[in-house]
Amino acid sequence: MIGVSFDTPAENASFARKFNFPFALLSDPDRKIGLAYGACEKQSDEYARRIAYVIDENGKIAQAHGKVDAKTYPREQLASL
Amino acid sequence: MSLSGKLRYILKIAIGGEAHMLNPGDQAPDFEATDHNGNTVRLRDLRGKKVVLWFYPKADTPG
Repeated sequence: MIGVSFDTPAENASFARKFNFPFALLSDPDRKIGLAYGACEKQSDEYARRIAYVIDENGKIAQAHGKVDAKTYPREQLASL
Repeated sequence: MSLSGKLRYILKIAIGGEAHMLNPGDQAPDFEATDHNGNTVRLRDLRGKKVVLWFYPKADTPG
């Protein structure tokens, strides 16, 4: 499980501490990951969309989730891994 | 494209937002980024494991 946002590592560190997330939160300040995965339209977009993917063992997209609930999604997915 | 596929495509364009998402079966684009502990994470290093990639708008915002 990996979280991605356009925040700084420091902002993500406090987010991870607050919610005790047992996974990495990545910083994507130049929106490279966001653009590649369709989480934003352009580099100037301020926020990533609430989307998620399940990537299989061979590096292929197994599932694409267009809208996810930020409150429940991480725990649901961790439980399913 | 099947009729339901066409309908889904039209809906996506009409609603907007999801038109550029990747689809099941697509190769996941490789990336390299810094995590909240300062470690470098590369997708290719996770090959052999199932990965959930979760995008969120802003650290520590509700919803």
